Amino acid sequence: MERSHHGPFTGAVTAAALLFLFVPIGVVVLFSFHSTGGLSFPFRGFSLRWYEQVFGSPEFRDASLNSLVVATATAVVTLPLGTLAAYGLSHTRSRLRGPLALLFFLPLTLPGLFIGLSLLVLFTEVEIRASLSTVTIAHLVYVFPYFMLVAVAALNRLDVALEEAAADLGANGWLVFRRVTLPQVWPVLVGGTSLAFALSFDEFIITFFVIGADSTLPMFIWSTLRRTVNPSINAISTLLLMVTLVLFAVSFVLTFRGGRKRGGAIGGEELMEEALAGETFGTGTGTRT
Amino acid sequence: MASVAEETRPPAEPRRVGRSIIPALPAAAGLVAFFLVPLLVFAVYSVLTAQLYDVSAPFTLDAYGEAVSSRVNRTLATNSAVIGLATAAVTVAVGLPIAYWLRRSAGRLRIPVLFLIIASMFASYLVRIYAWRTVLGANGLINNGLQRLGLIDEPLDFLLYSRFAVAVALVHIFLPYVVLVLYAAMGPLGAGLLEAAQDLGAGSRTLWRRVIIPLMAAPAASAFLFVFILSASDYVTPQFLGGTNGVTLGVQVQVNFRTLGNYPVAAATSILMMAAFLACYLLSSLVLRLLRLQDIRFVN
Repeated sequence: MERSHHGPFTGAVTAAALLFLFVPIGVVVLFSFHSTGGLSFPFRGFSLRWYEQVFGSPEFRDASLNSLVVATATAVVTLPLGTLAAYGLSHTRSRLRGPLALLFFLPLTLPGLFIGLSLLVLFTEVEIRASLSTVTIAHLVYVFPYFMLVAVAALNRLDVALEEAAADLGANGWLVFRRVTLPQVWPVLVGGTSLAFALSFDEFIITFFVIGADSTLPMFIWSTLRRTVNPSINAISTLLLMVTLVLFAVSFVLTFRGGRKRGGAIGGEELMEEALAGETFGTGTGTRT
Repeated sequence: MASVAEETRPPAEPRRVGRSIIPALPAAAGLVAFFLVPLLVFAVYSVLTAQLYDVSAPFTLDAYGEAVSSRVNRTLATNSAVIGLATAAVTVAVGLPIAYWLRRSAGRLRIPVLFLIIASMFASYLVRIYAWRTVLGANGLINNGLQRLGLIDEPLDFLLYSRFAVAVALVHIFLPYVVLVLYAAMGPLGAGLLEAAQDLGAGSRTLWRRVIIPLMAAPAASAFLFVFILSASDYVTPQFLGGTNGVTLGVQVQVNFRTLGNYPVAAATSILMMAAFLACYLLSSLVLRLLRLQDIRFVN
């Protein structure tokens, strides 16, 4: 094989994969602006008629509002709970650390089908009626490990000496956290929160089981997909893509750039690497060095 | 005076900050209540007697018998396994060279490409399924394109509504995760290590066979399992893209539960699936250990 280590082979695979990843999505976005109901080429010109149709639909507005409410509630609860948990997990030497880490990351490896079904069974047994609250509870379980991956990685990278110095100078635990720990990690925590929001906003697999008469945006898309070939689905999809991509951009910038600006305490890229390296079957949350 | 006091104080052992586990407990309680307890209740359902949309005493293993003996379930389990294995194999096989390229050759393109790959991970799950239905359909991009090029006369109907279509969409969904996990795992595989191997005379094929693949075996295996488990149990993609030949066990569980109201059979099938996944996990750890690939650590 005549391959140098700047292998054209690996480059070609990457280019092909990017096409594979983006062409189908690009087609959806393109046809959301189609002037006719046709879903295949040739493309016959641009119009916003599908967007007008979508925004005119009360079901769409209800579903979007519900998704917004659920995702906001999920993010707002995840931030404090997750931050505390990540702080405890990254600082403790308790024997409970291992089992708790396992518990925190286990939902990541369990398929949503089982999470959804078992929650449905629980809610039925204790007679909690399916509503947006049950959806929010389900989403909290689902997004929690993702938030933890990011937050634990960030906290593990902190220089303990800074916190210890502050404590030696007389700061109590809360003061150390607020004045030393938090300023270093907040961009990452906000990034993790927007990740939680994005995941919740797009969640379908679990939601399907625990939602009652209400609808969310993914539920609305699902029922539209089931009914007919309706070209407005392209416009709805494009809108959903825009929401999650904006959130992604926020969380990307905060975890990558924000982390770096703060005196390089947490380089965003290394942070992502550590977060992902932890994603190997639960227990691997990395030990503090 | 102060300095004398300093000197008499034992050195080392600065004050430890926040070593308590207590902050983690509220979240732990939440996960016990809404993750572990539901799973337990669900497991109990699998050994109860089926009523229509309900369960009752006495305890019985009937549901397991029914789940195992059903011929339909066996076909669907095969479909799930084939789809899961194909998806996992393709994502890992494609993910490795991409991760390698990002590490070694991407240069200034690294951050932009990384950005694109993570961005594609955020593209909605249902939208992607829908996108593939459009692309693979009879009038879709592929059939249309091939017809225009004169390569085919009739649309290829195996593209959509098949296990193939399901696997393609699942590869699309999971590839970004795999690339990121492998990219992260390759982090410590620094230029130094690879150059040392090359200086010792390793060609690019030897480099892959003797250095990169052994070092990547453990992370690649966990990425493979992650994708296998999630794609083999997916119940949404097969409903839209699988047609009649691509129905999976996950779909059947969902139908048993929601449509037929047979809770014990749905629960028993789920427990069996989880047991199978656990067995796969244990098997892969065993194989890695036997091949002595488990504990390879990067040394920088």
